[in-house]
Amino acid sequence: MDPFLESLQQSAFARFVGESGSLLGYPTILFLHTLGLGTVAGVNAAVALRVLGFGRSVPIEPLDRLFPIMWFGFVVSALSGLALLVTDPVTRLHQTVFYVKLILVALAVVNMQMMRSRIFRSPAVSDGALPSNARTLAMASLVLWIGATTAGRLIAYI
Amino acid sequence: MNMNVPHLHLLLNHIPTIGGAAALVLLIIAFVRKSDDLKRIALEATYVVALFTFPAYLSGVGAQQTLLEMPDISQLFVDAHWTAALWTFVLMQLAGALSWLALWKWRRTSAWPTTMVAVVFVFSALSFVTAARTANLGGEIRHPEIIVDAQAAADTEAAPEAAPEGAATEAPPEAEVGWLTGRGLGKAYMDRNWMWPASEALHFMGLWLILGVILLVNMRLLGFMRTAPYSAFHRLLPWAALGLAINVVTGMMFVTGTPEQYGANISFLWKIIFLMVAGLNLLYITVFEGPWHHAQAGQDPPIRVKIAGATAIVSWLLVMYFGRMLPFLGNAF
Repeated sequence: MDPFLESLQQSAFARFVGESGSLLGYPTILFLHTLGLGTVAGVNAAVALRVLGFGRSVPIEPLDRLFPIMWFGFVVSALSGLALLVTDPVTRLHQTVFYVKLILVALAVVNMQMMRSRIFRSPAVSDGALPSNARTLAMASLVLWIGATTAGRLIAYI
Repeated sequence: MNMNVPHLHLLLNHIPTIGGAAALVLLIIAFVRKSDDLKRIALEATYVVALFTFPAYLSGVGAQQTLLEMPDISQLFVDAHWTAALWTFVLMQLAGALSWLALWKWRRTSAWPTTMVAVVFVFSALSFVTAARTANLGGEIRHPEIIVDAQAAADTEAAPEAAPEGAATEAPPEAEVGWLTGRGLGKAYMDRNWMWPASEALHFMGLWLILGVILLVNMRLLGFMRTAPYSAFHRLLPWAALGLAINVVTGMMFVTGTPEQYGANISFLWKIIFLMVAGLNLLYITVFEGPWHHAQAGQDPPIRVKIAGATAIVSWLLVMYFGRMLPFLGNAF
């Protein structure tokens, strides 16, 4: 076993999260991970649906204010994910599906930021105009979050 | 808690039976009188009855575990009741879901989607028939005096003495349980071991779809993004409803596959309580006048509408919290 990973797994924090049995340990971290995922993927998906043409009368411009909420969700998810990782780093880091998930999340977050800069921060947004690749970005966000969620769930099974 | 579940079930099972019949009668009167107001009330009632069919059905799942531990209870009778209840639940949910969609369309267009309302009527009428059958079969579990077939009653009563292990009253062997029964469906589901992880992945997608759309829509009710009226955001609500539909189907499969995880689970009880709050809130933000008329373009909604928006977000978060806590506060794995 990698000594660094072992020391991580044996750290007081990892043991609190993984083994203390406290409701504030593993259960709360797991809830925060779900909350973060729900927020980043859910709000991103809701905005993507608007870009795809559902709720056309919802103006595009003010939706820019939702991106900090998505980033909040992502940060909560990433931090709680790290906390979950240190409870069992050896298993996780030897799982292909874990890396698949990380790659899909990374792509989804890059795509999310691209949506912000190309669609919501474009000079044409005040006229309600969408760039030509808007639909592609929106579809990509839905597909990537569906993929990331599926891979994330399969970590517990594969 | 465990002790109270059968009692709770005896109270709640009147909602789909009596409540479902009342909603159906209202809808028939609405058709006869050609009254749009009555139609709206009937569809709202159908939605609310469908919503409270959840605790009625789920408390039954809990009650059967307590009951099956008793020596004089026949699993055959329990299973017959369970299967009828499952059909009623499915028909009631179809009626409730279509009622919601019809109400959503009516709110937007002020016209009733006639075909959809007719289909609600068909599902309501069918669920009335299955609910009556379910109630009848449920009564037979504990009241042998109402069984018309005397031989069946005698068999049930004689069984404990005749076979101490209760062999005569056990469910038939697995092969004989059709998959279109409560127990058979649960078994067919659990036998395919890819189904549980697949449902979980879908359940999480349903979760983020609900949460994302609910957050976006209700932020408008809280007074954010005020340049557009609430009616614009209202258009996105069916996507939250789609997430809810995915999660009702996958969630009910979890319960049907492993009822022992949910029957006496305190976290599940809280999850269902907040699901009821969230469900009633969804009806309010879909059709009631407050959100629709008092969040016009540029308008900061009145406090009661803001409370509704906050309730939506908080209640869905609590549904999620107690769902996540099923294995920790309760006994699910």
